[in-house]
Amino acid sequence: MSEPTLLRVREVTTTFDTPTGPLTAVDAVSFDLAAHESLGVVGESGSGKTVLSRTIMGLQPRRGVSVTGSVLLNGTEVVGASEQAKRELWGRQVAMVFQDPMTSLNPVVKVGKQIDEVLRVRLGMDRSAARARAIELLEMVGIPAAATRYSAYPHSLSGGMRQRVVIAIALAGSPQLLLADEPTTGLDVTIQAQILNLLDEVQGRLGMSTILVTHDLGVVATRTRRLVVMYAGRVVETGTTRDVFARHRMPYTRALLESSPKVSNPSHTRLAAIPGRPPNLLDLPAGCAFAPRCAYATERCHHERPVLEPADETGHLFACFNPLPLRAASPS
Amino acid sequence: MARYLARRVVTLVGIVIVISVGAFYLIHLLPGDPATVILGTGDSPQNRARLYAQLGLNRPVIEQYFVWIRNVLRGNLGTSFISQVPVWTTIRAALPIDLEMIVLSQILSFAVAIPLAMSSAKRPDSWLDRFLGAFSFTMLSIPAFILVVVLVLVVAIKLAIPHTGVSSYVPLTQDWVANLESMALPSVVLAIGSVTVYYRVLRSDLIATLQQEYITLARSKGISQRRILWRHALRPSSVALLGTAGVNIGGLLAGGFIVQYLLDIPGLGYTLVNSIGLSDYLVVQGIVLVVSVGVIVINFVFDFLITLVDPRIARE
Repeated sequence: MSEPTLLRVREVTTTFDTPTGPLTAVDAVSFDLAAHESLGVVGESGSGKTVLSRTIMGLQPRRGVSVTGSVLLNGTEVVGASEQAKRELWGRQVAMVFQDPMTSLNPVVKVGKQIDEVLRVRLGMDRSAARARAIELLEMVGIPAAATRYSAYPHSLSGGMRQRVVIAIALAGSPQLLLADEPTTGLDVTIQAQILNLLDEVQGRLGMSTILVTHDLGVVATRTRRLVVMYAGRVVETGTTRDVFARHRMPYTRALLESSPKVSNPSHTRLAAIPGRPPNLLDLPAGCAFAPRCAYATERCHHERPVLEPADETGHLFACFNPLPLRAASPS
Repeated sequence: MARYLARRVVTLVGIVIVISVGAFYLIHLLPGDPATVILGTGDSPQNRARLYAQLGLNRPVIEQYFVWIRNVLRGNLGTSFISQVPVWTTIRAALPIDLEMIVLSQILSFAVAIPLAMSSAKRPDSWLDRFLGAFSFTMLSIPAFILVVVLVLVVAIKLAIPHTGVSSYVPLTQDWVANLESMALPSVVLAIGSVTVYYRVLRSDLIATLQQEYITLARSKGISQRRILWRHALRPSSVALLGTAGVNIGGLLAGGFIVQYLLDIPGLGYTLVNSIGLSDYLVVQGIVLVVSVGVIVINFVFDFLITLVDPRIARE
């Protein structure tokens, strides 16, 4: 990796206080992200992806959450930083594209105003410069008649248009790191590809690093260089996207791959569902969290927790006592 | 938007008509008799009958209503049986006092309730929030007439601030400083009632709004919490507040009568209570009509404000 490290995440653990006891949503997650690099974080619902992305940003609720470990963003420690210190980072260094554009835009504020707030408050632009720049950003994210749309309220825009506005807000402060948390989940399938392509395009154009959080491996296959696969708040496999797809060792990764539709399959191919349910984070098994659903689980898996081990020298890691043999792991 | 407002106007005109009929009948159901007030109890039945005929009170009530409403529509509210002063003159003298009381009390209420609701909503269940909740509930349950007595005792008698006691009303046109002093106490009493209601309504809506995803997005822009509260949370949280304020202010238009009565402030409420006691039908009807139109206009204004605050509401 020739690029300098932009984000260094070490042993990050996020725990929520719940009435039934502490709930660890993210458990000792570590990874690095270089400048201009793109990383995919994949896993089922409840695997801790969203909490992880908010923890990286330091955007978790103020109360009832405790975070340990370290998140170094461009040399600044996010974990334990004051709200004021984090505000300096937000918008300028790191920005987020939220999951559901139906709820993430303020319904009573014109979309243009929601964009130029960043420009005026954070970049200190005057009213007219901010307006001009906001219209430019609207054009950049592919909104037609941007000058007119500047004065539109969110309710008069379609879901895809709203998500473009959310992206424009995130880009307004020219952040170095863009976190996209399931950015297409709330959108029509036909719009999803457009939004993902837009994210790709702006990443390339603006030279940002991106973290793309998704449950859909199809989304990250061609768009990210590296992948982190999460299960029950833990990283179970990580490596280059190519390696994780072609040479995965962890049965959960395979199960995820097999459960996402592929164009190469004949039509009406039945998708393989992962049996069972994601574990209850309040009551995790003592050993591997995936063991109860795993076809390869042995006695050891139920009692002892596997740690991440290198699969080779390229940084490909997996946490499994009974890794899949390499030959069997390659699809097709 | 225009259609929405037009529909509201039609509804409101209907309400005015219903209220005018209702008010008219209710007054005639009340015990009391203008003839007794004018002639005293000892006069002969013949004189009473003559006076009744003179005032038009011998005709059927329904006919009286149509005579009255026809005059009202021509802009004539009639002349008091008792004082011989035109009803409109009486109302014009009293109404500005009510309006001033309302404006002062509402400015005070919003200025206090909004920051308090914000500081509560920022940290629900904090000691401050719990204290304000308990305090507002206490204030809500103290009747206005107790508050007036306590405040008069403290402010007017103990602190001896001029123009704050009973019968110390000074018209605005005479001396505006003295006027403000004399209006301070009743305005504060009315404001206390409003603040507790506004605080509670806004607090709960703000708490709900602050959990919205768009507030998290606003936070992620790196803007201050103050800005988030004022620019992002207040507007979407104030729909119920404005609706409540419309109803509340309408109620204050005549509902301030206890305060006016206790402090001898010659506003509409005060005049209304006196006129009911005197069976001064035309004055009572005139005030009820003016108040109901006023209530409706105020509600209309607040409905309109709501559509400005939340652009989604006018859309159907």
